Amino acid sequence: MSATDCEQEETGWGILEDLPGDPMIWVLIFSELAAFGLFLGAFIVARAIHPAMFAAGQATLDAHLAGLNTIVLVTSGWAAARGTAVARARCKQAARGWLFGAMALGGVFIAIKLFEYAGEIAQGNGLETSPFFTLYFLLTGFHLLHVGLGIVILAVVSWRAEVIGVETGAAFWHMVDLLWIVMFPILYLVR
Amino acid sequence: MIPGRLDLTWIVLIGLALATVLVPSLATRPLLGNALLLTFAALKGHRIVLDFLGLRAAPALWRGLVSAWVVIVLLFAWSVSAIVALI
Repeated sequence: MSATDCEQEETGWGILEDLPGDPMIWVLIFSELAAFGLFLGAFIVARAIHPAMFAAGQATLDAHLAGLNTIVLVTSGWAAARGTAVARARCKQAARGWLFGAMALGGVFIAIKLFEYAGEIAQGNGLETSPFFTLYFLLTGFHLLHVGLGIVILAVVSWRAEVIGVETGAAFWHMVDLLWIVMFPILYLVR
Repeated sequence: MIPGRLDLTWIVLIGLALATVLVPSLATRPLLGNALLLTFAALKGHRIVLDFLGLRAAPALWRGLVSAWVVIVLLFAWSVSAIVALI
């Protein structure tokens, strides 16, 4: 048995050890990507079945607000990535600062999304209005819950600001960012 | 990950996000517009996977898996919209 085999037996994570952060977060990330992938697939197929209904629903959405939220979330992701970089350089205070910025921008994302929901609900749209709005509210609502969870995770890991913790929290945050990047054009813009 | 690359990635992502919002008013043909929108999303996803998620230095298996997820979802969205537009 080689030294590498012994190391892998000790950690138990095998090839997941090569990823940044705690390997367990990557099990969660791959599960989330699979779940959101299926969910988005269902939305795409439903739009193909009801093109007119989905076009009408999409026309009531505010793509500019969602575009603004894309800028907010990628900027938050950048702050989290900078926080990870300084955490690796053992600058804990600076890491906390960057992570706080990422969390604050996550809060802005939630505020904008809730404002957007309020406008949609004021127009009389809800979960049961049409299949479009059912899938739209479920997909974006599920994503919004992940943004909230991501803020909590970032708050927890910024307490100690240790490298492994910051990498783990940032990996989850970047997954939330990646999901939005893929979800935004499919829900709001693709015709 | 060096800050310079992170900053460049952030600028690229902001540029692509702004371009994405402009596509529907500039590309009036749905097939072309959708292709542009989803290509921009793929490019944004690629930069996030490599530089923010930090998979540039990770084994090709993981980088490939996450990148493949992005490409498969976006390609599926474009293919289905193209089929609906053509039939």
